[in-house]
Amino acid sequence: MSLKFYRRVAFGLSPNDKQDKDPLSWALSQLNSIPDLLWPGTIPTEKELRKKYGEWVYGDREVLRKKFKNDKHAYKKAKDELRIKTGERYFELNEHAIRHYQTRHSTQPVFERFWLFWGNHFAISEKDFLAEFSTGPYQREIIRPNMVKTFEEMVLSVTTSWCMIHHLDNSESFGPNSKKGMEWRETINENHARELLELHTVSPNAGYTQEDVIQLAYIMTGWSHKWSRKNLETGDVWFDQEMHQKGDKIVLGVKYKNDAKRELAKVIHDLVTHPICIKFISTKLCRHFITDEPTQEMISPVIEAWNRSNGSLTEIHKAVITQAYKYNETTHKFHPPEIWLMQLSRMFDLSIPLSAEKMNYAFKSKPTSKQRQLSWILREIGNSPYRAKQPNGWSDFEIDWVSPELLLRRFWFASIELPILVKSENNSHDFILACLKNNFEDYENMASLIHQFRFGTSDKDLGRKYGVICNLPGVLKV
Amino acid sequence: MNCTRRNFLIGGSTTLFLSGYFPKISFASMKKKNLIIISLRGGMDGLTAVPVIGDKRLKKLRKKLILEDVLKLNSDFGLHPKLEIFYKLWEKNQAAFVHATNIPYTGRSHFDGQNLMETGAHIPYKEKTGWLGRGLLASNIIGQGLAISLPMPLLLRGVPQNNNFFPSPDFVETKLIDQIYSEFKGEHNELIKSTLDTIRQRPLSMQIATDSDDRKKLALEAAKQLKDQSGPRVAVFDLDGFDTHTAQGGVDGAHADELEEVNEIVTILNENLGKAFDNTLILTLTEFGRTIKQNGGYGTEHGYGSAILMAGGLLKKSQVYTDWPGLKKKELFEGRDLNSTIDSRAVYNSAMAVCFNQDPEYLRKEVFWGDELTDLSQELFKI
Repeated sequence: MSLKFYRRVAFGLSPNDKQDKDPLSWALSQLNSIPDLLWPGTIPTEKELRKKYGEWVYGDREVLRKKFKNDKHAYKKAKDELRIKTGERYFELNEHAIRHYQTRHSTQPVFERFWLFWGNHFAISEKDFLAEFSTGPYQREIIRPNMVKTFEEMVLSVTTSWCMIHHLDNSESFGPNSKKGMEWRETINENHARELLELHTVSPNAGYTQEDVIQLAYIMTGWSHKWSRKNLETGDVWFDQEMHQKGDKIVLGVKYKNDAKRELAKVIHDLVTHPICIKFISTKLCRHFITDEPTQEMISPVIEAWNRSNGSLTEIHKAVITQAYKYNETTHKFHPPEIWLMQLSRMFDLSIPLSAEKMNYAFKSKPTSKQRQLSWILREIGNSPYRAKQPNGWSDFEIDWVSPELLLRRFWFASIELPILVKSENNSHDFILACLKNNFEDYENMASLIHQFRFGTSDKDLGRKYGVICNLPGVLKV
Repeated sequence: MNCTRRNFLIGGSTTLFLSGYFPKISFASMKKKNLIIISLRGGMDGLTAVPVIGDKRLKKLRKKLILEDVLKLNSDFGLHPKLEIFYKLWEKNQAAFVHATNIPYTGRSHFDGQNLMETGAHIPYKEKTGWLGRGLLASNIIGQGLAISLPMPLLLRGVPQNNNFFPSPDFVETKLIDQIYSEFKGEHNELIKSTLDTIRQRPLSMQIATDSDDRKKLALEAAKQLKDQSGPRVAVFDLDGFDTHTAQGGVDGAHADELEEVNEIVTILNENLGKAFDNTLILTLTEFGRTIKQNGGYGTEHGYGSAILMAGGLLKKSQVYTDWPGLKKKELFEGRDLNSTIDSRAVYNSAMAVCFNQDPEYLRKEVFWGDELTDLSQELFKI
C-alpha cells in the first residue's frame, strides 16, 4: 500500500500522525460517528447567524436606505458601520477557520473528506449574503449531522433548510390555485424543484420532463421562510398551507395525492430510491475519491452497498473507501485547490488557520488582514469554498482545474505565501525532509530537487523549496 | 512583440522560439482579425436587453419588469439603457443584434445548457471540446486563444496552448516552473505538462500583480494583447449572474446590473483596441432566454429564445437580424418562452469563418458535424 492513500481519502500525515499497519481499517473506522468540531474559537449557531443576517438586511434595506436616501456618502459610512456591527465582513472568515481547523486537526480526517464532498454536492452558490452568514452554519448543522443517517434523511433536511430554500428561491414559489396564489395572482418558481431533480437526486439521466419539474414545484410550494416585517426573509422555514398548490400531482409517473406538507417526504422517498439517483451519486462519490472517469466495476460495489443498506451513508462511505483502497495503486486523482491547501497545511504543519484568540472579533472595526488571510488565499487559488458560481458547486474534474492561471496561482501560493505560514520551529531543512518521508515513497527524489537550497532558511529560500515540492506531480495528484 | 517567459530567460534570442510557435500567416500582408466572445451565464433575457417596442401582451405579463427610457433602435426594437456603448456603436454601424435565437436546446437546465452552448453539440456532456477550440484547430490557429478567467472555459478547449489570465497577487520565479517541468511524465500528466508549456511561452506582461476583482484591468489587458499583431486572435470573457429568478427589475434591477458589466467590457475594448476594433467582432453567448411572464418573485424562469449582442468593425451594418416569431401564446415555445427561429450556432459558425478566413461550409463540417447551419456571413458581417 502506498502512502498516497492517506492523501487520496484524507489530508496526508502531519508530523504527529502515524502510519497505520492497516490503512483500510484505519480509514473505515473513521466513518461510524460524527467527530466534534475542534475549533477552540467561536462557533455560532445557524439561528444566531440568521438573526445577524436579518439585522444586516433590515438595517440596510429598511433603515439606512430610507434614512440617507439623499446622502450617498453618509449612507456609505453608516452601512460600513452596520457591516462591522453585524459581522457581515467577518463571519465567513470565521467559518473558513472552523472548516480548515477541522481538516487540519481532526482525528477522523476521512470523515471530514466526506463532509467536504456532501457540502459541495448540496452546494450553496454565491447569492445574496449566504456566504457571509449562512453557508458555513448550513455545512455544520444541516450537512454534518446527517452524514451518519440515510441519504433520504439528508435530502429531506437539506431541502427544507433555510439556506437551501433561500438559495433556490422556494419562498417565492406559490401554487397558482393556492389561497395566496389566487389572491396575489402569483405562480411557481421552478428553481428549487429543478435542482432537487437535476443536481441533488436523480440527474437529467432520469429523463424527467418540464411537466415533472412543474409538478414537483407544486409539491414544494408552501415550504418557505416565515416572513415578518422585522425578520424580512430570515424567518424560520415553515410550511405555509396558503401557498400550497391544491390537488394531486404526478412526478416521474408517480401520483401524489393531495396531502399538504406530507407530499414532500413522499416524493423525496421515491426520488432517492430511484436506481438512476443511486447510480448518479455513487458515480460522483467514486469520481471524487478514485478517478475522473470511474468504471462500472469501480462503482458497482457502492451501488450494492446503497441497496443493501437502504441508503445508509455510513455504509455507502465505507464502500467508497474500500474501492478507493482497491484502486489506489492503479488510478490517479487530481485534487482541487482547497483540498491541496488542506493537505499542505496538515503535512507541513502550517500555521493556518490563524489562532482562535487572534480570530476573535470585537465588532468594532474591520477584520484585520491576518483575519482575512486564509479566505484571501482560498480566493486567490480559485477555490473559495462557499462561493461556487452556480448551484452545481465546484467541479471534480481535473480539466476544470488545470489552466495556466490556476496553476500559476499554486506556484504563487507555495513559493510566496506559504513560507509566511511555516512555523519558526519548522524552519530547518530536516523538517521538510521528515515531512516528505512521512508522506511520499519517492521522498528521496523529491529531496534531491531541493537539495541545492538546503542551507537556506529565509522566506525566499523556503519559497524555493516549497514552491517546487508542493507542485510536483505526486503532490498535485494522488 | 511581447517578451515571453522563455525568451526573457534566454535573453534576446527570440527568433529561435518564434519559429516554432507562430501560425503561417504573414503579418505584413494580412490584418489580424479578432473574435471576442462574452459568455453570459445564467440565461440572458433577450427581451430585457433588446426589448420589443409596444407589445401590449408583454407589458401585461411583465408588469413589474417594465423598462422605461429604452433606447430606440428601430420601429420594432429598443435597447436596454445600460447598453449605451452598443447604442453609440449602432450609430456607426458597429453594433447589431440577432434576436429570437438560441442553441438548439430546450431542456432549461443551466448546466446542460451551458455545456451545449460551449460544445455546440446536442447531447449534454458528450463532447469534451468547445466549438471555438475546434474552430481554431480546424483553421490551424494554435496558441492564440485567450481566456479572461481563472479556469479554462470549455468553449476554448480542443486546441492546445490556449492561455488564460487573471491578475495574481504576486510574480512567480520562472526558474521554479522550469525546475519542476521535467518531473511531469507519463500520460496522466499530459494535461498539466502542456499547460506548463503554455505558461513558459506566455508574455511576461500577462502576469499583472493587482487586485483580481478589477474587471476593468482585465478588459484593458485583453485589449492590449488583442491589439498586438502577434498577440491572441480570440478572447473569451465569462460573466455570470444572469439567472434572475427574483428581483429581475427593469432599468435598475439584477438583470440591468449584469448588462452594465457587458457594457463596461465592450466600452473598454472599444476604447483601447483603437484601429484594431475595425478588425474585431464581439459576440455574446448564453444558454437560454427567459420566460415571457414574470414569476412569483418578480423575476423570470428559464426559457428558450434569447438574443446575441454583437459589436465591432467586422459587422456589415447596424441591424436587428431576426425572423420574429411573435409573442402570442400560440407563437411561444411551449406557450411560455420566446421561440428561437435562428440557430445561434449558425451565427457563430459564420463569425468564425469571417474571423479565421475560412470557408463556412468547411467549418460547419469540421466543427458542427455538418449540422444544417445557414451561412449568415453575407447578412451579418463584412467579408
